[in-house]
Amino acid sequence: MNMKNGTIPTICREVVVIGGGPAGLAAAIAAREAGCGDVLLIERDRILGGILNQCIHDGFGLHTFGEALSGPEYADRYISKFRDLQIEAMEETIVLSLSRDRVIEVSTRGTFQRIEAGAVILAMGCRERTRGAISIPGSRPSGVYTAGAAQNFMNLENIMVGKKACILGSGDIGLIMARRMTLEGATVEAVFEILPYSSGLPRNIQQCLNDYGIPLHLNTTVTGIVGTGRLEGIRVAQVGQDKAPIPETERFVPCDTLLLSVGLIPENELTREAGVDMDAVTGGAVVDDSFMTNVPGIFACGNVLHVHDLVDWVSVEAGEAGKYAACYVQNGSCALPCLIPVKPGDGVRYTLPRKVSGERDFVISLRVAAPWRDRSIVVRSGEREVARRKHMRLHPAEMIRIDLRKESVAGCSSLEVVVE
Amino acid sequence: MSTREFTCVVCPNGCTIVVDVDNDETPVVTRVQGNVCRRGEAWARQEVENPMRTIASSVPVNNGDFPLVSVRTNRPVPLARIREVMEEIRRVSLSAPVGIGDVIVSSPAGCDTEVVATRRVRKIV
Amino acid sequence: MALEYDVVVIGGGVVGCAVARELSRFAVKVAVLEKEMDVGFGTSCRNSGVLHAGFNYAPGSLRARLDVRGNAMMDDICRDLKVKIKRIGKLTVALDEEDEATLHRLKEQGDANGVPGLELIGKDRMQQIQPGVEGSLALYSPTSSIISPYGLTIGLAENALANGVDFHLGQQVASITSLAGGGWVLGTKAGETFTAKVIINASGLFSAEICRLAGISDYVIYPCRGEYYVLDKRLDGTLKALIYPAPKKNAPGLGIHLTPTVDGNILIGPSAEYLNASEDHSCTADVMKELRREGQELLPEIRMTDYIRNFSGIRPKQTPPEVGGNKDFVIEDRKDVSGFINLLGIESPGLTCAPAIAEMVRGMVERHIPLHPDPSFNPVRPGSTFFFSELPAEERASMIADNPNYGEIICRCEKITKQEILDAITNPLGARTLVSIKYRARASMGRCQGGFCVPRITRILRDEFGWAPEDFIKRSTASPLFAGNVRPVKGGGVR
Repeated sequence: MNMKNGTIPTICREVVVIGGGPAGLAAAIAAREAGCGDVLLIERDRILGGILNQCIHDGFGLHTFGEALSGPEYADRYISKFRDLQIEAMEETIVLSLSRDRVIEVSTRGTFQRIEAGAVILAMGCRERTRGAISIPGSRPSGVYTAGAAQNFMNLENIMVGKKACILGSGDIGLIMARRMTLEGATVEAVFEILPYSSGLPRNIQQCLNDYGIPLHLNTTVTGIVGTGRLEGIRVAQVGQDKAPIPETERFVPCDTLLLSVGLIPENELTREAGVDMDAVTGGAVVDDSFMTNVPGIFACGNVLHVHDLVDWVSVEAGEAGKYAACYVQNGSCALPCLIPVKPGDGVRYTLPRKVSGERDFVISLRVAAPWRDRSIVVRSGEREVARRKHMRLHPAEMIRIDLRKESVAGCSSLEVVVE
Repeated sequence: MSTREFTCVVCPNGCTIVVDVDNDETPVVTRVQGNVCRRGEAWARQEVENPMRTIASSVPVNNGDFPLVSVRTNRPVPLARIREVMEEIRRVSLSAPVGIGDVIVSSPAGCDTEVVATRRVRKIV
Repeated sequence: MALEYDVVVIGGGVVGCAVARELSRFAVKVAVLEKEMDVGFGTSCRNSGVLHAGFNYAPGSLRARLDVRGNAMMDDICRDLKVKIKRIGKLTVALDEEDEATLHRLKEQGDANGVPGLELIGKDRMQQIQPGVEGSLALYSPTSSIISPYGLTIGLAENALANGVDFHLGQQVASITSLAGGGWVLGTKAGETFTAKVIINASGLFSAEICRLAGISDYVIYPCRGEYYVLDKRLDGTLKALIYPAPKKNAPGLGIHLTPTVDGNILIGPSAEYLNASEDHSCTADVMKELRREGQELLPEIRMTDYIRNFSGIRPKQTPPEVGGNKDFVIEDRKDVSGFINLLGIESPGLTCAPAIAEMVRGMVERHIPLHPDPSFNPVRPGSTFFFSELPAEERASMIADNPNYGEIICRCEKITKQEILDAITNPLGARTLVSIKYRARASMGRCQGGFCVPRITRILRDEFGWAPEDFIKRSTASPLFAGNVRPVKGGGVR
């Protein structure tokens, strides 16, 4: 390969999957199993499996495998299958750009090249919201980490980030880290959550906090970070209904570490660059029921599409995307016209997909806007009730999936999903 | 007698289960309310009388492509014994390679479980 | 044993580094004493990164003269030192008749100061320069520019170092004693001793304190903080020029504005709050809220996810809060205290003025020590002005083929390569903090704020240089990143 003359090597692949985490692995496997012989997966890390590699706690795969696996084990199930199918992978390779006509520029040790893809599956996952994103006032000492970064340091790099920690945000990663740090000899003072309810799973509240006597303070947030060198402590205050801190409740909590578990943002810079239409609520692409975006041949799945609560659903969704991407390259389109809009109504934050064909069975994923008990999720087309699912408990932190048969939406011109 | 309240974790319904408990030293469940299924009742009894947990941790590895291997118990251990199990895990170190499922500690702290590796660590040359 | 120098510069900010580099043209022994672990850790790297044209200052003032001169020097300096600069120009916009009168006055003042290319322009030209800009009249100043404040400060320092200046990092001056036969002895908090024939006080926020150590009690510095928001690169290209409102007396709000950076971010700020402490770089809830509000007003496209960071810088003001406004720089060769050159109150436009101040200081030094040109002086700093990711694809492909480290992206947001991280950490000044890497390589300055790259940088430093967890510091030894290993490591190293 001679690059001295200024040319850039270019290769062609039928299906290119960007990201080798749970979504990318399942999508690549599904594309291959759907008969596509020319699948390439691009992973920026040195190993496949994505964020699962640092999630060493158990609880993955209950739905898919009926076992409570750790993250690395769950990943390994898919990696083994991926290897058995002899799918091509480029590890330690980062995608620098993606064009609307599916030309991908990648960089790896020693090589810079272009890949022309028949179809692209976006499976880049998400990143953590940072201190800057939530505008926490105060100084800038060391010792403030996102929970996922701290998890990476502890579980992959053998590095302890601190000895006396507080956690802002009751998302699952923060709860898991509260237990992990406690078991490794650190003191976790408390978890603070600005909302009136936890955004983590009940199981994690019990097993990560209650088991170890770590208090969870709801309606409370961090109002200041204190320390010139290392973190010396945080100021916390209760918040009113408008989520604004109540000054007279402010107090100082000494600690050397603050972990932030304040939400995840789909990692969609490449997606935007390719001209894909975005959903402002999910932060991911707008897709139809084949998981294709408005840009023909570009698909999206997993946490880059919308943040999931369970990895099992990431794998299921990615499998669908992989299947349709293979179909796209085999037939030139997958491509039933998707003309029936699906929109969120009362009590529903978002629905995905946003358009369906009505010609095949599909799943609506959604999240509700607030916690409720004894409600129903209802899918409607005008006055007609298409489906109704009773839920004893609805929680914004949990994703809900509604399986729908094509027969049930026959004749519908639009669908709306509401909580009743 | 006392009562304790749990959010059931058996299924997504998340029932609020109220349990009446006699004798807080070695708790005995006298009544379970709020569960819609039998699994919920069994779970709540267990949570009060002898809660069981799977625990995950790390063990150092020499000459590996990662400095640590992740491990977990392959059967749950009593919550009350976790600190002892952790003590045993902390005493172990390994040399690469390590395979998924390799038994790192048998019956830690006398518990009916094994600590197994949950990732591959390859030997570096 | 005292380390002996002809000139000791106190303070490794942009002014101290510019002075050091200017003096490195001559055969004199120069040292820079910096209390932090790297240059530019004070106000020099905590500002808008703007080169001002020079029409805002009273004719005949030091600021007017040094700004116009400094601005004109920057093209050569940036070329030689590989510093990013963009001559994007500025529109100072009038919204009413009072503003228009102000612009006419500023134009005259600028012409008197010798600012090149000033023009009063109407709506059409304004729209050509910045589509959508409000107002019917603007003062266009083509020499207003944006620059990398990190690049400039570090570039000046590295070039000074290459030309023989010694940099002593982590050396806070604690005592200054004049010698009977002339000259000075300086003691540092760390216990080092230095001698100098001439001291140059370029210590910014601490310049009044340094004065007092030398027996000069004429000055007080009033620290005045400016807070900023940094916006995501998603909005890169939105601002084609610097857009400022015409300055108004008693204007409501913070008088903040939007500033594009050479790296493609936008800054909202700065606010102005007087402080009691010289080094409180906190950001505060009220100001942050006000910045968001005003930013949103100026640029409605801003979304919540575009806010990626806050920071603040502190101006060394000579005027107390009840007086406000600005006072001209103090740049003096003290007659009463021989051999003490005092640079004080160098707030905005200090970044622009730095090289011109250095020339002026050189003239003052010459009165004390003969300055003979050093024929080996090389004004050029090796390296590239641009980050690797900014190079054309073909060039990158060929560089990656030659050096595989360029193919490995460590900072995903800013697309910074392993080689750039290695270059940053092996910097000639020997600065080894995480912020030093950030200021040089931009790693962790993007939207994920280091969540992705800091673990990877940690791994590189461990694998390539054998660092243990306790070797990692953010800014100083008081800001360790880690608390040790999770599990003990055999053989002492992390591995």
